[in-house]
Amino acid sequence: MIDYFALALIHGLLAIMIIRLSLRPDLDHDPWAETDQRARPRGRDDGDA
Amino acid sequence: MLDLALFLFICFLLVAGLRRPYLWVLTYLYIDIIAPQKIGWTITPAFQVSLIAFCAAFAGWILVDPKRGSRFTLRQGLLLALLIYCGWTTISADFPEEAWFKWDWVWKTLVFAIFLPLALTTRLRIEAAALTMVLSAAAIIIATGMKTALGGGGYENLYFFVNNNSGLYESSTLATVAVAIIPLILWFTRHGTVFPPDWRVRAFAYALIFACLLVPVGTEARTGLVCLVVLALVSLRDVKRRLTFLVAGAMMVTVALPFLPQSYYERMELILGYKEDSSASTRIAVWKWTYDYALENPFGGGFDAFRGNRFAYHMPVKEETGDHTVSIEYREVVDEARAYHSAIFEMLGEQGWPGLTMWLWFQALGLWQMERLRRRWRARSDPAEQWQAPLASALQVAQIVYLVGSLFQGIAYQPFIMMLAGLQIALWVYCRRYESRLAVPAQVPVAQRRPRRGGNAVAAGAGALR
Repeated sequence: MIDYFALALIHGLLAIMIIRLSLRPDLDHDPWAETDQRARPRGRDDGDA
Repeated sequence: MLDLALFLFICFLLVAGLRRPYLWVLTYLYIDIIAPQKIGWTITPAFQVSLIAFCAAFAGWILVDPKRGSRFTLRQGLLLALLIYCGWTTISADFPEEAWFKWDWVWKTLVFAIFLPLALTTRLRIEAAALTMVLSAAAIIIATGMKTALGGGGYENLYFFVNNNSGLYESSTLATVAVAIIPLILWFTRHGTVFPPDWRVRAFAYALIFACLLVPVGTEARTGLVCLVVLALVSLRDVKRRLTFLVAGAMMVTVALPFLPQSYYERMELILGYKEDSSASTRIAVWKWTYDYALENPFGGGFDAFRGNRFAYHMPVKEETGDHTVSIEYREVVDEARAYHSAIFEMLGEQGWPGLTMWLWFQALGLWQMERLRRRWRARSDPAEQWQAPLASALQVAQIVYLVGSLFQGIAYQPFIMMLAGLQIALWVYCRRYESRLAVPAQVPVAQRRPRRGGNAVAAGAGALR
């Protein structure tokens, strides 16, 4: 019974994960790492005159 | 019914991969960890699901994946060299039949560990791989934890989905992995995006961590207790309130002690009284034999070379007599074909000094790279730069726990750990890629940075104003 519960719980979570991943555009293209960093808006630590 | 459900789930994963081929990589991770083909008994074992997922993962990457950001690193090169070297020692192995049997799964583990970082090129892919690994291991951990909490378990009495001592279904290996992934579970409570952190994610994560802590108790694996101590010590590095952490930990242990079964105490006592335990005495004798064997065979004896060992050692045996006196008698015990019980000696005996050197170099590089990432990324304030240092730290702690656990188990090629190494390599490449982009402005040739002759002060930059 415990084994069935653990398997059902984890497979349910894995199924949700797979569905969410298949709907995410950033799975194959990482906008953060692939954008030219010089074009990104500056963070607080970047400093500005 | 269970068999059919597992089969349909694998079909669902394979179909989902038609739209996003990267999901086949996750399918292989899931199948390799949980081994549904071993849980099922008719439909699932009838198909070579592991082989199908393995081929699909590679085919999807080669044919469809954009491969932007894929890099081949030194650690992958070391794994490739180790793979070739293992192939060579297998051909000339002392026990060819057994060696080829082990080679059959080791080469897949190493090839997939080399391949995995090539596919993990985005943040979401790294997270998804880590999540699949944690959830897949969680299936075994939750079942083990619940059985322990409900009074089951015990050394060699705990039943898993699969009871053939393979992969994570070996009690000491499971205890080591359960402890090692605790920092990774905590990372998901702060930085996850597939399941954004909220009270449900945190509740599940803390319950899972509790189950992880119960695994060493349920399996009564001595290595598990050693790993827990190591995890507590290494965690001191990252916790903000160390005194609170220590006091809370001590209180937790004090509260938990009365609930532990007597058999657990008896088994843990053998850590200190190892000389009275045949298993521990044998290990030391095997390690001595392996060292001598490596001196005579510096290039190793191939997989399962331990089968050639035969040695005698003296083990103290306590005997209680009727008048409450205890006499200790040293008896000679002859043993043969005993396994290494240590990843270090496993590598030394099977692959000799060159194999051990490659393996240690591979592990040391992982520790160093994660430490470097942890230090370089922890002080950043950009919201998009908050997850890298904690992930590097979690992967490093997991590796430290594994390395300590592996001193007492022959798990040098453990697939789950090799996947963790794949995550480390992927994170290293990802961060380096980003850092190199940041460094681009500094690499602009000096000639381009010089102000134009005759230009105005604003266009010339700060240099012209000095």
